[in-house]
Amino acid sequence: MTTEELPSAPHTILDWFRGYEEEATLRGFRCPNCGLVTATWGLACARCGKADLTEIALGKQGTVVAFTILAVPGEDFLNDAPYAYVVVELEGGGRVTGWMPTIRDTDHLSIGDTVRFVPSYKPGVQFVRDGAGGSPG
Amino acid sequence: MSVRETWIVGAASNRFGRMKESAREAATRVSLEAIRSAGLEPKDIGHTFVSNAFGIAEHQAHVGPLINGGLGIPDVPSATIESACSSSSAGLHEAIVHVGGGFEDAVLVVGAEKLSHLDTLAATSYFAIAADYPFETKNGATFPGLYATLASAYEHHYPTKPEMLGSVAIKAHANGARNPHAHFQKEISMDTYLGSPMIASPLRLYDCCPFSDGAAAVVVAAKEFVKKPALEPLVVRASVRTGSVTEMQDRPDLLGLPATRNAAAKAFRQAHLEPSQIDFLEVHDCFTIAELFALEDMGFFPKGTAGAASLDGVTVRDGKLPVNPSGGLKAKGHPVSATGASQVVEVFEQVNGLAGSRAVPKTETALTHNVGATGGSCSVHIFSRR
Repeated sequence: MTTEELPSAPHTILDWFRGYEEEATLRGFRCPNCGLVTATWGLACARCGKADLTEIALGKQGTVVAFTILAVPGEDFLNDAPYAYVVVELEGGGRVTGWMPTIRDTDHLSIGDTVRFVPSYKPGVQFVRDGAGGSPG
Repeated sequence: MSVRETWIVGAASNRFGRMKESAREAATRVSLEAIRSAGLEPKDIGHTFVSNAFGIAEHQAHVGPLINGGLGIPDVPSATIESACSSSSAGLHEAIVHVGGGFEDAVLVVGAEKLSHLDTLAATSYFAIAADYPFETKNGATFPGLYATLASAYEHHYPTKPEMLGSVAIKAHANGARNPHAHFQKEISMDTYLGSPMIASPLRLYDCCPFSDGAAAVVVAAKEFVKKPALEPLVVRASVRTGSVTEMQDRPDLLGLPATRNAAAKAFRQAHLEPSQIDFLEVHDCFTIAELFALEDMGFFPKGTAGAASLDGVTVRDGKLPVNPSGGLKAKGHPVSATGASQVVEVFEQVNGLAGSRAVPKTETALTHNVGATGGSCSVHIFSRR
């Protein structure tokens, strides 16, 4: 038996979902050792391995670094296709994946576009193009 | 590479596509066939590694002992190995470790999957749970969607004509048409490819592998155990497994798969070989873009050039570097847990002159490459003749 304490993570995956659903906050971690910022839950840094993560609130605006328009949707998105699935580089660091219900074809989104996180009762982290209003749903 | 020289001495696959029987029955059947092809009997097997990642779709877990029971060897230990789409190549690695390390003389590796009784939505959902469920799937990702997202980053960085991805699909179908194990045994044209509907931009229907049922098995044995092999064995020159960050949001580089890069580099070091010494490859082409990633990440082509090489015909059956003579996941099919083992079946058949009209010109040294989901895990194996 060891008496060494387990590293304690500031929040759980459930907290992460509550964060964006109830507080409109994207929670994340910063590694004080190497500076990595991530939205993904963990107990230690995926880059340097140091188990000393600090909880932070991630930025709400960012740049699209990769995306696809899904014609065949996932299980929770049956009535929403086509929609964009995006990887967004957030201002202040860190990337998150999310979806954009109002983007239905490749003419309306490009890599490098600025997008903004919006709270929604629908599942998933939702983004809209910068300047656009929040989701109607 | 190992303590003891380790061989692949037997291999078998059923026809991929739609199975009437269960994964358990199909796995047992191909296992017996693989063992017999090695000139062995089930009682010669000391351990089995069984993969059936989506066994839950048939309400069956712990299928290994059932397969062993069906083979008449219920007392032989079995372990289930799950590594998403690379499950049976992960099982193969475990078998090689067991035999090479002297723990067993002969080990069976078998992978089987049956999903055809599910509808497309259910099958898509099963595939999607191999991603990060809360951080990817719950945000709208599907399995094609994740590879399509990588493809968008790649195409943004390296100009990629649709015809380049199309050439990968056309080559796969041309090879599959000559493979009696293949799900799709029909050639397609560039017009058919370009006219197929977009599933997840920039990936069209014909960029995607099918949901397949299927089973494949190989027998791993120590050289000193097999005095007179029934067929020409494959000498295991390298057996490497790697891991990598699964989530796309945490990958600094979206232009390939780091797990492949690391696995190939280590495998070439282990085998004391270079990419130029490989005669043909079976690579993980669950989507056409994945074949370009594989070829570039393993060092066969500089980054951003595999698409042009494919369009130029370099990777066709009688090209300079034949890739996926079996038809690959794209045309042979992708019964998740059978895929890794089936890649070795193809190498075994090519080396033994059993590949018929899809035979490649040179079969001295071959490489198999199998990815788990979007690259959270990867296996690379290198084989050569005695």
